[in-house]
Amino acid sequence: MTDKKVKIYTTPACRYCQQAKEFLTRKGIEFEAYDVSKDTEALKEMKQVSGGARSVPVITVCDEVLVGFDRSHLEKALECLSSP
Amino acid sequence: MALTIYTMERCPFCERAKCFLYDRGIEFKEISAPPGSREWQEMKRRTGGESLPQILIHDVSIGGYAELVNMEATGELYEKLGVPEMGEERVLYDVIIIGAGPAGLSAAIYTIRKLLKTIIISKDIGGQIAWTTDVDNYLGFSQVNADELVSKFEDHVKKFDVDKLIGVEVKTVDLATRIKRVVTLEGKSYYGKTLIIATGGRHRPLDIPGERELVGRGISYCSTCDAPLFEGVEVAVVGGGNAGLEAVIDLMSLATRIYVVSLLPISGDAVYQAKIRQSPKVEIYEEWQPIKILGDTSVKGMEIRNLKSGEHKALAVEGVFVEIGILPCSDLFLDTLATNQKGEILVDPECRTGVAGVFACGDVTTVPFKQVVVAVGEGAKAALSAYNYLMNQP
Repeated sequence: MTDKKVKIYTTPACRYCQQAKEFLTRKGIEFEAYDVSKDTEALKEMKQVSGGARSVPVITVCDEVLVGFDRSHLEKALECLSSP
Repeated sequence: MALTIYTMERCPFCERAKCFLYDRGIEFKEISAPPGSREWQEMKRRTGGESLPQILIHDVSIGGYAELVNMEATGELYEKLGVPEMGEERVLYDVIIIGAGPAGLSAAIYTIRKLLKTIIISKDIGGQIAWTTDVDNYLGFSQVNADELVSKFEDHVKKFDVDKLIGVEVKTVDLATRIKRVVTLEGKSYYGKTLIIATGGRHRPLDIPGERELVGRGISYCSTCDAPLFEGVEVAVVGGGNAGLEAVIDLMSLATRIYVVSLLPISGDAVYQAKIRQSPKVEIYEEWQPIKILGDTSVKGMEIRNLKSGEHKALAVEGVFVEIGILPCSDLFLDTLATNQKGEILVDPECRTGVAGVFACGDVTTVPFKQVVVAVGEGAKAALSAYNYLMNQP
């Protein structure tokens, strides 16, 4: 897996995942997206980093793991990217 | 001090006026003037008013709270005070729409086509359609992907000149005055001559022990999103209406066993019922009640109770999908608008709320049948009502 700072774990029919990706794109933030319905490795990783989350999207930013898409939380988490 | 305000205790609009001034950092001199006091006489003499609060700027009476808000909306307040406006550009909209689900977007199409200056403020786009995969009962589409339908709605609105604030939450609203004010979580104010509330609904939780702790760890309110994470395990779906049965169908090809738990006999559409009753994977518990979610760090089971016999049973499931209806997102308005016991906003056949210039439509209202097609129709009605209201203003 790549070492991009933002990762998002998704499923195909999940609109919140879609919205989260659009949000990141609009902000010009690079991210790696994984479809956990097909990618079992990614599913394993998602469960591991989130301590067993079973809901998408799971978004990892720097050291933070967010379950679900909440704009204000994500925005706050993204602050780590701008500070050295 | 440029601004003086006459007040008394237990006067809600005095409080509001003071909060309004505090919020904006406008300094003022407060004079307590209960009826009959010397200050009351002074207030009457200086302002000609007979009620509180009364506000003066540079010794000139401007009126009460309503006038204060109106003057801010037009920019006159800052002019009179001789201070620059606070940062943001002040626009007075004809219509502010809160919510961008089917009701809100439909309302926007109608207001824009009436050439009303419109802004949509919403947390997200699409509202509850985001929770479903396919929509099968929208006229003109025998089956449409929910995503596609939302995109079509969005594209339609984009064709017109409308301000959109998506991803923005509303903190408070001020409905009492002629000019309505909407304040976002970030503290920005928006002003409108009318307000259309289309805030929709949110999932009703089970409200049983273990549920809240395990959200995202086996408890799910979006089967479309999360079903793929429950491949090869046993799950439960709570709810026997259409949403519940759709969740069962989403899970049918993935989970090894699906328990359907419903307080009432299954009531979803016959098409769905036939589908799930045929499946050997599905086990139905009608007139059973969920009591408790089991598990510490993830869902390990759900305890249920038979409503008739009182028998208890534990279902060894790793996932619980909750589809027991929706609650209206009306928290912002509970103090100011009339609602029913569920919190749904009472509206008349023209989507009026009882407060002049404030309209509501879609799932947040008492209008029955929470359907996309109903919300779209109600949105149109609210917009046309707002238009009629504006046309009849002096």
